[in-house]
Amino acid sequence: MAQVVGRWREVARHRHELIGINRRNIELVYANNPRRHYPIADDKLLAKQILGAAGVPVSETLHVCDGLFAIPGVLAALAETDDVVVKPANGAGGQGILVLGERVGHGRWRRASGGELTAGELQRHLAEIILGSFTAMLADRAFVERRIRPHPLFHELWPEGLCDLRVITLAARPVMAMVRVPTRESDGRANLHQGGLGLAIDLRRGRTFRAVHRGRAVTHHPESEMPLLDLELPHWPEVLDVARRAAAAVPLGYLGCDVVVDQHRGPLVLEINARPGLEIQNVHGYGLARAIAEAP
Amino acid sequence: MKRATPWVIATLLVLPALALALKVVVLGYRLSDILPRTVYRVTLTMRLDGHGRDVKVRTYLPASDDRQTITNEEQSAKELRLGFESDGGNRLAVWTGGGVGDGAEARFSYTVMTEPVRYQLDAGLEVPTAYAESIARYLRPDTAIQVDSPEITELAHRLGADRGDVRARLDRIYGFVSAMPQRPFKGTTDALTALRLGEASCNGKSRLVVALARNVGIPARLVGGLILHRGSKRTSHQWVEVYVGGRWVPICPTNHHFAELPASYLVLYRGDQALFRHTADVNFDYRFGITSERVPSPKAKAAFKVWNVWALFDRLQLPFSLLRTILMLPIGALVVVVFRNVIGMPTFGTFLPALIAASAGETGAGWGVIAVLILVAVVFLARWAVHRLELLHSPTLAILLAAVAVTILSTALVADHLGLPRLTRITMFPLAVMAITAERFYLGMTEQGVRTAVKELLGTLVVMLACFAVMSSLALQVLLIGFPEVLLWVVAANIYLGRWVGLRLSEYLRFRAVLTPGAM
Repeated sequence: MAQVVGRWREVARHRHELIGINRRNIELVYANNPRRHYPIADDKLLAKQILGAAGVPVSETLHVCDGLFAIPGVLAALAETDDVVVKPANGAGGQGILVLGERVGHGRWRRASGGELTAGELQRHLAEIILGSFTAMLADRAFVERRIRPHPLFHELWPEGLCDLRVITLAARPVMAMVRVPTRESDGRANLHQGGLGLAIDLRRGRTFRAVHRGRAVTHHPESEMPLLDLELPHWPEVLDVARRAAAAVPLGYLGCDVVVDQHRGPLVLEINARPGLEIQNVHGYGLARAIAEAP
Repeated sequence: MKRATPWVIATLLVLPALALALKVVVLGYRLSDILPRTVYRVTLTMRLDGHGRDVKVRTYLPASDDRQTITNEEQSAKELRLGFESDGGNRLAVWTGGGVGDGAEARFSYTVMTEPVRYQLDAGLEVPTAYAESIARYLRPDTAIQVDSPEITELAHRLGADRGDVRARLDRIYGFVSAMPQRPFKGTTDALTALRLGEASCNGKSRLVVALARNVGIPARLVGGLILHRGSKRTSHQWVEVYVGGRWVPICPTNHHFAELPASYLVLYRGDQALFRHTADVNFDYRFGITSERVPSPKAKAAFKVWNVWALFDRLQLPFSLLRTILMLPIGALVVVVFRNVIGMPTFGTFLPALIAASAGETGAGWGVIAVLILVAVVFLARWAVHRLELLHSPTLAILLAAVAVTILSTALVADHLGLPRLTRITMFPLAVMAITAERFYLGMTEQGVRTAVKELLGTLVVMLACFAVMSSLALQVLLIGFPEVLLWVVAANIYLGRWVGLRLSEYLRFRAVLTPGAM
């Protein structure tokens, strides 16, 4: 009994530091993000245009495929290219992203997963994107960007793809940040619910201080045994700076800014999210409300 | 909370309360009028083998009067033609057919709403010396009602039923016959046989009451009918009416009702008649199927003056259940809101559970859940099969809709074959809602994994059952149908929940690492 009361006291003490979905929507999203500006966050191409125009580093768009008629042109342009990524402009959760790795012949590429990809498959994938298979809308656009070469630290964390940094900003001020590490278990997706890793970052020091896998705090990578705590993040001041500038460039006050660190190009904004998830609180072990109050 | 919100909520709470008070105090609405009534749907099914000959079947149909209202009569027949006749105030239905084969069938159904009645028999009312001819014939003997038999006269005298006022005579007759041992129905028993055996079933007891009453100068007649209980039965019932002070007053010596009749009694005919008469040697068989439903009382319907959607539905000949569903849907939606935003239970879509619950009004909760599971399973399989063809998105959805349509119709066919009438109502399920539900399940399965998808499916079913329970709550239906302005309370509740920033119950679990870091 005393234990239950003690537990409840603890809950009551921490409850106000935590932000649940209801509070996030009302106090953060509705209060800071006018709905009419959502398309900026939802449409990756639009976001990249606005951010690029404001001088925020983004990954360069090589081709845009806007409509079925544009597919042959894009296919022709890609035939002799390699190391690019095809993405839907309005995809969510990493859906519809296709990596064209090393070229192994005319119109044949290595997939990120190791298999082979043919021009026919690429053509169908473009058509699927354009017909809206990866979006809630009726139609979409596809675009092509150069494949990111992750910084060695991130490459070490997940050699088969990309780790990104999620920086939560409120009024262009970073308040919380984490590294999202895909795992074999999460099928290469940086989704924490599907077995991806989350590493909490101390904003001031630019170092990881907590790692969470499937809701449990861990100290080492569950697959590679790599230590995860107190890692120094490369280009950290620039990452924060990029996130700040991205947030300032759009009329959205509460953002999840996804940043990747390219080996050569440094921090690049991958996309922005107008209603970022709340799992970052579990990764940090404390709530977003406290983070906002204590942000540097 | 925004500053205006409390005021909006307060207004939305007070306005309906005022309207409610106005209706009750000034316009004289009474909740008791709106209290729902039980209506019965009676279906008489008759079967016979005509052996290729001419066939005739007749039976009595109930008529509307002060006590019972008969509506929505429907009939269907195979090889037989229905005609109507009148027989001394009774309604006769006559089915005829020429060269009727074996397995001929006729159905007749009607909706019954009845009132219980109770009569006050004044003491000191003397037995009249003469009656009008129309009444006096209920004093004369019948084949099975031996009014003048010495044994009847002797019994009447022994009971003291031949002395005193009408009330006293009836009391003694009723007291005696009512106390006689009961026998299960074994064919027709005349009054004298009942007397000699000292025990009888309903028809023997009733004839004895009629004989004794007539013997002591009180007009009396047999009444034949049904006792309305849900289910299927062959047994009809007989009781008695006695003529007292210018009215026919019911007495049932079998089930012990004196000068009163409960609402479950349905009158089919008056007089000593056989309920069915038919051509001989046709293997005649029949069954009364009785279902019941709760509906608002017609008094409440009549009391409606403002925003009279009831009258509109009557004019458009739309079923009342549709109006009820429409009015209850916002309540169901509020239930979904509570489950999603306060409890944090995952469901497919925001209002799918409420919509499914509304559709399940026809199938019932249990069959509703089974119907959803059948649809989700079949559409899941279809989706899986289609997935291997690697089709584009919209054609895939169109195929799923076709799968839903075929599944619904096939399920109804099978359900009809198996005799599951409620499951056949799966046809009332909206196609699009089910296609979307099933598609969400499939996408959840492929994108978020089996666990998440099954969780959402279970959540959807739980919330659907909760919606069903709330939406079929009689008290709420009465409240909404009588006072639809209380929908503003629902709006107020939604405004409150819409600005509520508290943690969802599920978030206490999800964020336990943050809430109880000491325990982790």
